[in-house]
Amino acid sequence: MTFVPLTQLPWRRKAARHRALPHHWVEPLSLAPRIDAWRHWLADHPGGEWLLYQPHPGDFCAALIALWESGRVAVLPADDRPATLARIAHEVDGTLPDTPGDQAEHAAREPLSHPASLCSTATAIVLHTSGSTGAPVRITKRFDQLEAEIAAHANLWPLADGCVISQVSHQHIYGLLTGVLHPLCAGVPFCGDTCCYPETLAARLQEAGDAHLAPVVVSSPAQLTRLPEHLPWRDLPRPLRVFSSGAPLSSEHAQRTESLLDAPVIEIYGSTETGGIAHRRQSQRAIWQPLPGVQVSCEEAHLAVRSPFLQDPQQWWQQPDRVAPVQSGFELLGRADRVVKIAGKRVSLSHIERTLATAEEVNDARCIDLGRSDGRLGVVAVLPSALIPHEHTTRHALIQRLRAHLSHHLERVTIPRYWRFVDALPCNAQSKLDRSLINQLFADLDDTQSPRWLGDDRPDPDTCWVTLEVPERLIFLKGHFDEYPLVPGVVMVQWAIQLAAERFGQHGEFQGIERLKFQRALRPGTRFTLKLTRRDDGLAFCIDSHEGRHCSGQVRMHIQEGRQHG
Amino acid sequence: MGNWNTYIMSETSDLTLELKHMIIDTLELEDIAPDDIDPEAPLFGDGLGLDSIDALELGLALQKRYGIKLDAEAEETRQHFANLNALQALVEARRVE
Repeated sequence: MTFVPLTQLPWRRKAARHRALPHHWVEPLSLAPRIDAWRHWLADHPGGEWLLYQPHPGDFCAALIALWESGRVAVLPADDRPATLARIAHEVDGTLPDTPGDQAEHAAREPLSHPASLCSTATAIVLHTSGSTGAPVRITKRFDQLEAEIAAHANLWPLADGCVISQVSHQHIYGLLTGVLHPLCAGVPFCGDTCCYPETLAARLQEAGDAHLAPVVVSSPAQLTRLPEHLPWRDLPRPLRVFSSGAPLSSEHAQRTESLLDAPVIEIYGSTETGGIAHRRQSQRAIWQPLPGVQVSCEEAHLAVRSPFLQDPQQWWQQPDRVAPVQSGFELLGRADRVVKIAGKRVSLSHIERTLATAEEVNDARCIDLGRSDGRLGVVAVLPSALIPHEHTTRHALIQRLRAHLSHHLERVTIPRYWRFVDALPCNAQSKLDRSLINQLFADLDDTQSPRWLGDDRPDPDTCWVTLEVPERLIFLKGHFDEYPLVPGVVMVQWAIQLAAERFGQHGEFQGIERLKFQRALRPGTRFTLKLTRRDDGLAFCIDSHEGRHCSGQVRMHIQEGRQHG
Repeated sequence: MGNWNTYIMSETSDLTLELKHMIIDTLELEDIAPDDIDPEAPLFGDGLGLDSIDALELGLALQKRYGIKLDAEAEETRQHFANLNALQALVEARRVE
């Protein structure tokens, strides 16, 4: 089927043939009755901007096109969080319901005419994304911007005799262009919704093959890095190509996906503001190459873009990513601001911090990209001393409350997973919470033998009070008593010796333990203070919590080095 | 209490505890103890608060640990993830020894 530009109503051309595909596939040329049902519904409502959130691409498309044909603008929220929808609903002329009602009733009404073409300089959609300050940013796109980008895709990656299986949301620019609008203009079937699961993807590939269509997969690193190897990819119809966008794929995962699916993996780099900027196929070349028509400049490691996909195609746009220019392209070095992406969802760390600070318990918060492979965020939250949780149940309940508070404002995958509660932010000599302190705060994530560190207090050079917690995943809890897990006494003594050595620089030959008393079980989730006192012949220690004293004793050592005051 | 109960229930509760540990370890839920997971409460959304990425990770873990291959009827398959009891029923019915 030939390519028809968006403004020429590709969905209104005459259907050439019918393809036998299951109902979850969208046939662009069979959309007309559903579009008309929405047109009838809209005829009784005001014009202007309408909020549109529909998870199924078919429902989405019919409503979107009806808005366009009736001269309205579609406003697409990035997620379906109640606070998000309520905020946007406030700014628009109306919110589309889930369905336009009884289709038969609409069909009985007088047929509606549709325009011969859409005005290419009119606003088509309004998208939402998170700005660097965390405030939601509204981005409008005209039809000519969308058309220019779809045309670039159609040139590089034509869809003739194909079909599109999308694993990403069409409420975002990449999923909208690649997963919905391009197939719509090319007149080929597409599907989405539950395709985000690997088993569904496998089934859709088979359906595409059965219909003799070459499938194109629109995906993201969140899905591709978690493709299970046990599914029979080799026996399924081979995708023509696989797109990935939202974040860069590691070269290892790009290779793995190519060999697993036996298809080229094309990564697209871009943003809501700019649309696509560059593309690459890592197995051939790791350098990003600008898309046709896009100009890039890399001054002082900052990327600037001039592109027909931008609101103002003549102006240079500053993209907040750091880059290194390489012949005929560039390398990406990371964001230049406090915005991170989790599973392709953009979120501002400042936004999370401010939202947390509006919670009753929280005085201040630092949200931290821990650089973990799962992408999950950490938080250091400052609470009034009286509200600090001292044991598992209260800590768990507090985290649940704070997560619930955030879930009104954030998509679930972006909610921080790792929480540290303090009454004051730990800081270095420059009064900063630096990387090494952050690493200490979250060290127990990868070290299941150590207590969770939450701060040091040094009343005098020979004394140190260390605030700690017993991590629930501490390795020593396993197999001890399943019904009543507790920290073995020998582990408490080991912690005292280890932490004293780090703080006092005392290293020596172990001579013995004296006055050792275990008074109370130390349970997972308990917050405690390890009080260390340096002595000439070793150290004294005790472990206290809100329950009272757990353990105390003295360790005698043959000190080899002189005193180091830390 | 519970010694007698524990004895009778041991086979079921072993798997319950094992699955709780699998969820906690796979998803690195550092603030969750096995007792916090109510077998009837939803794992996703408002219950335990798991998300779409966790669903993919759990699918991989089930394959790795129990040899369970989820099939394409996504709606049905993912119902097994509704709560811990549903997950346990799936593992009991489909595990590959």
